[in-house]
Amino acid sequence: MSRAGAAPSATAERAAIIGSGLAALAAFATLRHGGLAREEIVVFGTHADPTEQWSRKAASIRQRQMRSESDGHLAPADFPGLALRAAWRRRSLRPLLQTASRGYHPRVDDFLAHAAEVREWSGFDASLRLRRIARVEAVDGGFELDGEGPFAHVLLATGHPGLELPEALAADPRVVHAYEPHDYARHVAIVGAGMAAATEWQNALAAGSEVVSVRRREPVRQPLNVPRPFFSRRGLAAFHRSPPEQRAATLRRLSAPSFPPDASFDAVLAAAAADGRFRVAAELNGADQVIAATGFRRGYRHDGLLARLVEDHDLDVHDRWLVLACDSTVPSLTDQRRTLSVSGVAGQWAFPAADTIAGAKYAARRFLERVCRTR
Amino acid sequence: MSYTLTGRVESRLVAALPALIAAFAIHRWWAVYLVAIMLVVGIALDATVYDRLISYQPAWLAVPLGALELVLVYALMRTIPVHAPLDAAVALFALAWLSAQLFALAALPRLQLTYAEAGGELGRSGRLAAVIVPLLVFIGIGAAYATRAPTIHLHGVVRGPIVVDRAETLVGGTVRGGVIIRSSHVTLKHLTTIGGENGIDVENATHVMLDHVRVLRAETDGIHVRGSGVMIEHCTVADPAGPWVQGIDISYSVGRPMSMVSGCTIAGVREGIVTHSAEVNVMDNRVLDTTLRGIVLGEMSMDMASGNDVESAQGVGILCLDHSMCEIEHNVVAGTGVDPSGDPARAGVAIEAQYYAQATVRHNSVIASPGGTRQFGNSAISR
Repeated sequence: MSRAGAAPSATAERAAIIGSGLAALAAFATLRHGGLAREEIVVFGTHADPTEQWSRKAASIRQRQMRSESDGHLAPADFPGLALRAAWRRRSLRPLLQTASRGYHPRVDDFLAHAAEVREWSGFDASLRLRRIARVEAVDGGFELDGEGPFAHVLLATGHPGLELPEALAADPRVVHAYEPHDYARHVAIVGAGMAAATEWQNALAAGSEVVSVRRREPVRQPLNVPRPFFSRRGLAAFHRSPPEQRAATLRRLSAPSFPPDASFDAVLAAAAADGRFRVAAELNGADQVIAATGFRRGYRHDGLLARLVEDHDLDVHDRWLVLACDSTVPSLTDQRRTLSVSGVAGQWAFPAADTIAGAKYAARRFLERVCRTR
Repeated sequence: MSYTLTGRVESRLVAALPALIAAFAIHRWWAVYLVAIMLVVGIALDATVYDRLISYQPAWLAVPLGALELVLVYALMRTIPVHAPLDAAVALFALAWLSAQLFALAALPRLQLTYAEAGGELGRSGRLAAVIVPLLVFIGIGAAYATRAPTIHLHGVVRGPIVVDRAETLVGGTVRGGVIIRSSHVTLKHLTTIGGENGIDVENATHVMLDHVRVLRAETDGIHVRGSGVMIEHCTVADPAGPWVQGIDISYSVGRPMSMVSGCTIAGVREGIVTHSAEVNVMDNRVLDTTLRGIVLGEMSMDMASGNDVESAQGVGILCLDHSMCEIEHNVVAGTGVDPSGDPARAGVAIEAQYYAQATVRHNSVIASPGGTRQFGNSAISR
């Protein structure tokens, strides 16, 4: 098998990636690392820059550090991680010591710079076709994508199906979603209890606002958005063995909002609370501005392409989840000759942390195995 | 990383390969035994402790876990026993530990993209390693067993001196006239010598083990070592044949594997333990009633004396002499007597540095020794 950069051995378009965000870039880089030539892969997406959507949201909540750790990058192999790269670049052991104790979280700037390197190295842009795919149709030996193809192997990396805004807030002119650009009013109510909400509490306090955290439950404090064993076979094996209802219950439990424990963050909140600038409430009050840190819509039904795919091919679903095989493939549309894989949040049935970079790589690596198997 | 039990074991076996290759390369059977012990200890801990208690293992945890495994490996090595030079054994353990870190953090994630997601499981490579690594270890141990030195059991009193000129193990018995060792890989166990110019004479040999030997009525040195690397454990040297007899003398052995004298009792000789131009670890010995000095680390030696009891030495308890570099720690020196010669360097000095010697002296107990700790002749003592 040739490595990335080697002369292509075939020019037929064999694999297609639908989506042009971070998951798509991770998948593309993984395929290239596995020996596929640029000409063998097509990426269909609506954004030329794979980091555009994500970085716009990160900028909206003024995110400066990643929640993920050293291995939260888009390169195919986990090593070298971002900590080692930062240590090399800054000529400092500090990032390595931090990552040894799980205290290293890459700066957003570093992450984006590395994403740009991966994009450049992999030749992502050359394989990108700026086109929205609305329909995936299974045909003999592959899939047609709105008349393009057929492709033997298709990875769906369509991303989050839009921002979640509770109905009660939809018509309120004071409301802005956390992931949309905004400033902070004098009195701000922030709805939600996850990572975005926690970041917004800090942002609003730093901007001099008085903050009311509107939430119905106390946030879970954990380093990553799901417990670490769920990132490996140690936790996944039992998850994959569990019956559908239990698996769905696990996913519901894991989707509870959370953010990492951080003593300095707690100190900021405590100081603000002591000054009367931060408090918790169960309902909205008369704040000047309401920031909905309520995340994203959940479930395949909110994604037009996935909803149609399910309807057209009568795919197995459970509640809001697509039922997938352990390797993130759609079982009824995957066989020895073709593969339909799902990456990103829609792949949670196979990997609970599917909406993370680790999740994108989990699907991509198994997709690569299937593509290589049929070379 | 969140390992599965299979992942832990497979990763451990693969990461043991560099240490195993090194063990074969240096052609020392103790090294193969040591790798086997490391694997047994590691896999036992994987199965009974790590897998149950550690659902996620951050990188820093490798340090305390490595220390725990080092302690257990050392204890097992001493229990079996595997006669390995301590510094080389620690170096081999360090190589294995470092390999494990490099494999887990860099090499395996690079070679197998799904390494972390698979909980450290390596698929076919892991299953192959599970066969090959134990097989290599068994082959190594088997070869060591097949080519081990013959063991000769001595019974009763044997007329000596006995000359040992091939690798072998002598066990038990009493030899009159001493034992002369002229070959490497010789072990004496539970053997007593009576008389002889030297009780045990070792020249130009390495990997010599003297374990639980008793040396009585020697005429010059109890144990006389020249140009050799020896491990002497739990010996007794006593009842010298004359006033000039030395207990253990290890000399002119720089460049040979480091020697060790441990757990010995030496009584009534002129000098208890003496080194010249050697590298010796002198630890946990008891030296009694010497008439010249208790322990001498001399003549450009690089030695360590730790945990020794030196009692009732005449003149000097522990001496670092003549351009030597000595670490003298955790010893008890008691009742060092003042020599009637009037020489201030022999005025009941418990610990002394003499003639351009450099001694590091820490945590020693000096009792009833009027000379205390002193330096003479351009020597330096650092604390």
